[in-house]
Amino acid sequence: MPDYNKPIPIPDPMTNKPYWDGAKEGKLMLPRCTACNRFHFYPRIVCPTCGSRSIEWTEATGEGYLHTFAVQHRASGGWAEEAPFVTAYIDLREGDRVFTVLRGVDPTKPEDIMKKIGALCRIEFDKASDDVSVPYWRVVG
Amino acid sequence: MPSNPSKSAAIVAAAEADEIGYLSSPKTDMMLGIEAIHNACREAGISTKDIEGIANPGGANSYAEYLGIVPKWVDTTAVGGCSFQIHVAHMLAAVNAGMLDIGVVVNGQAGYSRRNFPRGAAGGGGGDALGPDAQFMAPYGVMGAPSNYSHAMTRHMHQWGSTKEDFAQIAVSTREWAMLNPRAIMHSKDTNPNGGALTVDDVLNSRIISWPLNILDICLVTDHGGAVIIASEAAARSFRTPPVWIAGAGEAIGHATMLEMKDFTATSAAASAGRAYKMAGMGPEDMEMAMIYDSFTITVAITAEMLGLTKRGEGPSLFAGGRTAPGGSFPVNTNGGGLSFNHSGMYGMQLLVEAYRQLSRTAEDGIHGLAGKQTDADSCIVNGTGGSLSATGTLVLTR
Ligand SMILES: [Zn+2]
Repeated sequence: MPDYNKPIPIPDPMTNKPYWDGAKEGKLMLPRCTACNRFHFYPRIVCPTCGSRSIEWTEATGEGYLHTFAVQHRASGGWAEEAPFVTAYIDLREGDRVFTVLRGVDPTKPEDIMKKIGALCRIEFDKASDDVSVPYWRVVG
Repeated sequence: MPSNPSKSAAIVAAAEADEIGYLSSPKTDMMLGIEAIHNACREAGISTKDIEGIANPGGANSYAEYLGIVPKWVDTTAVGGCSFQIHVAHMLAAVNAGMLDIGVVVNGQAGYSRRNFPRGAAGGGGGDALGPDAQFMAPYGVMGAPSNYSHAMTRHMHQWGSTKEDFAQIAVSTREWAMLNPRAIMHSKDTNPNGGALTVDDVLNSRIISWPLNILDICLVTDHGGAVIIASEAAARSFRTPPVWIAGAGEAIGHATMLEMKDFTATSAAASAGRAYKMAGMGPEDMEMAMIYDSFTITVAITAEMLGLTKRGEGPSLFAGGRTAPGGSFPVNTNGGGLSFNHSGMYGMQLLVEAYRQLSRTAEDGIHGLAGKQTDADSCIVNGTGGSLSATGTLVLTR
């Protein structure tokens, strides 16, 4: 924890509280619309699919698929020490997409990571402080 | 001829957020604005999905994204407390012109709740610490536009089989134009140690910033000032300078954060260009040159596809074989582009200035262009891209 030297988000307690509470317990919580049954991300108080305001929080599988990625050779703060590292967009099993730093890949071999586009990925959490755990994703497929 | 917009639009509903005043439980600006929109739509008997245009001082893109809609009319005019009256006036004119049928003017402002936001999250202006970028992207070390756009390039390579070599051709073609522009940063070795002739290998061997983007795939960071004068048809004909007609115009927003970019190989330029072409009564086949915002080589490739200049996935091929370079049959980015001429942060102005010079036949005046820079194009499509491949504005200009 004291050695977590990356930017720590300030959780928005008004819109995203269940998400960050879930992360502390190692769970991926997602907003789901009870009118059209679709999940969305980032969390909103209105469904971006159908416009309903009937949103409830649901625990997700924590699984998704690699959509695209980049290898970051330049970064600031704690991330500068990690460079090169891989950032990625993950298509959630439940639908919609999240951004992350991807684990389980070799940043010096981007051509190999290209072959992993579409591969199964799983979420994991780093405890960044007493209040915040930050989600990361790992290629497992 | 334009018609009188009087009575061509009406206010059909008005509503407020669920609670207003001193909220016991705080809400963000966005929550308050969304509640008001939702309530107004309910009063009007429509869905938020029926909204085609949004006006808000500075935040129209975030509202659109939040609602999950892709507006075809936006107004972010931000001139203080009277902004909303002005938004209504603009929307009236736009409705009269047939640009939209249903629009909303919105504002949410947590003037009181703000004091109860988490420490470090309050304060106006700048980045929003409670917004999606700060919550869900910034923790992962992305740094500026290059580290974001690279994901789109990777996806283009995956989805369409393009290569880094293909994209490098864009930088090479653009550099050839810069070599004809004495004011371009990369005009020559005299203007910059890295200026002058460029090869595909030079691009591929340049420093890697955010794979697959090398530094020569990325625009410059420079100073610039520019302006264009626009006049009515009657007035324009009385100027002694040659007119360049705004034959078509379109605007669109695909998303605000890249989290919401559904297809990383497509931008809203397809929509904004579609409208511009339609207004002009012209199509891609009628364009004789293009000025395309080149923040990155990937931006140009995707935009060329969206403008209908190539098929989907084949954007880089437009730049093969010298077709877009000086002397080629379809000149693109004849000023040397953001890649090799000048990119001051918001490069759309540079696009307009060069498009005017080309179509007014003043592109080769010795100061802004040397022999060979002036094309004989009678039409030009101009496309600006803003944000993270987020918003686009397209113009069709003609002589
Ligand atoms: Zn829904």
